[in-house]
Amino acid sequence: MTERYAMYIDASKCMGCRGCQVACKQWNDLQGFVPGVRETKNTGSYENPLSLDPQTWTRIKFSEYDNPDRFQWLFLKEGCMHCTDAACVDVCPTGALKHGPYGIVTFERDLCNGCGYCSQFCPFGIPKLEIINSVTGEAKSSKCVFCQDRTVNGLTPACVKTCPAAALEWGPRDAMVAKAELRVSELKAKLGFPEARVYGKTELGGLGRIYVLTAPASEYGLPENPRYPALGTVWQKILQPVGQIAFGAVIVGALGAFFVARRNVVMEEVE
Amino acid sequence: MSVQLRGTDSSISIRWIPKYTTLERLLHWVHTATFLPLALTGFVLFAPWLEPLAQGAAGAQIRLIHRVAAVFFGGVPIIYTLLQPRRMLMNLREFLSFGKYDLLWLKNAFPYYVLGRHGNMPPQPRFNTGERLTALVMVLGTITFGITGLSMWFLKGVISATLFQWMVVIHDLMFIVTFAMFIIHFYLAVVHPMMWQSLVSMRYGVVSESYAREHHAMWYYGEKRAKQMYEERQAKGEQH
Repeated sequence: MTERYAMYIDASKCMGCRGCQVACKQWNDLQGFVPGVRETKNTGSYENPLSLDPQTWTRIKFSEYDNPDRFQWLFLKEGCMHCTDAACVDVCPTGALKHGPYGIVTFERDLCNGCGYCSQFCPFGIPKLEIINSVTGEAKSSKCVFCQDRTVNGLTPACVKTCPAAALEWGPRDAMVAKAELRVSELKAKLGFPEARVYGKTELGGLGRIYVLTAPASEYGLPENPRYPALGTVWQKILQPVGQIAFGAVIVGALGAFFVARRNVVMEEVE
Repeated sequence: MSVQLRGTDSSISIRWIPKYTTLERLLHWVHTATFLPLALTGFVLFAPWLEPLAQGAAGAQIRLIHRVAAVFFGGVPIIYTLLQPRRMLMNLREFLSFGKYDLLWLKNAFPYYVLGRHGNMPPQPRFNTGERLTALVMVLGTITFGITGLSMWFLKGVISATLFQWMVVIHDLMFIVTFAMFIIHFYLAVVHPMMWQSLVSMRYGVVSESYAREHHAMWYYGEKRAKQMYEERQAKGEQH
């Protein structure tokens, strides 16, 4: 087992340049602007695109935080959180989603059958389903994999490599947590962000992204207290074993009943 | 119908009573031929140890088979309702009528089916208590599979993630109930030594007079007479 790594994301340093989005698309060979296929619409916001999608594994989410003390324009680098307790890994029936080296939640596109359970059970709604045909169900899931082809070879994820503001860092998770805590105390004590906090240290068993936030998580559009989906537990931990035991029990019961009945039923009396 | 006994001069005469229409029998087998592929392909996504079959292109094919089978499976009750609405309503009404004799049936089912004790079994209409319960679960199952299945098929990303999760859980729960019930149905209809005529009736649409009398007395004699005969037999303490 390799050491757990994490991505340190300092929202207080992010300037919303979105170089990470571009680097991600470049390294992972994802579509950017494709005339007639993927075009950018002006929606009145600098934010673009408006959500993660099968061709956008990371993006900067823009939020405005207008509290009485000061106005903040919040930048949040969205993408897969690589949870320790990852619901997507548990509900994936194919093993396409797995816990890999460095604690990365890896994705193997060839194994994906397009069921889309991951997209519906992720507490952050991160995996996006690329629906090729909605009638036949042909589809493929997609999400950030922390550039698994780079990171397992000792490189940093493409977004980290490109970030000009040094808002991103890739390293052993403990070190990233320590760095985040130090930065938060600095933001609180010296830089006038009393609401600064670390996000991802303990959530869902510990996330693979350690955020330094300058405002409450909800202002960034993050769940304050993300929870493993209860229905995922019901499905995987209760229904699946119970169902299989029930089928086995009924078959064994029927066989047993058959052998007893065969001895007891007098065939001459059967109408 | 008269049957010549092989190798002898004697013959026996059996009176056959119609029980199912041709359409009912046909749809029963379409239902079977779609339920089993649905259960098996669904099981691939349900059971973790079948992961290799769920993967990649194979898994996509499995999901496609599930959808194609689902269309025909859902078509069965619709076609039945359209072509024989009166039969459908008649059956539905029969499925929904339960009474005191059904409690007696449940009490005596184990000694009857497992130990072969006929004596206390109360008379039953065209469908006995167990068959009616099975039928109701099937009706409920079909509606539930329809709603949850179509939601997962067409409303992914449209309905909220929590609602979608409910659809998955309810679909699976109904699968457990209906498939367990299918195993029991198969056992009683095909394997159980006393029920050999059920398969005959689903092939030819008829049951013998003696079978109808023994297993569905209220249907054969009429409700009042059958009950009267049963009470008299019970009063005498007579064991069949």
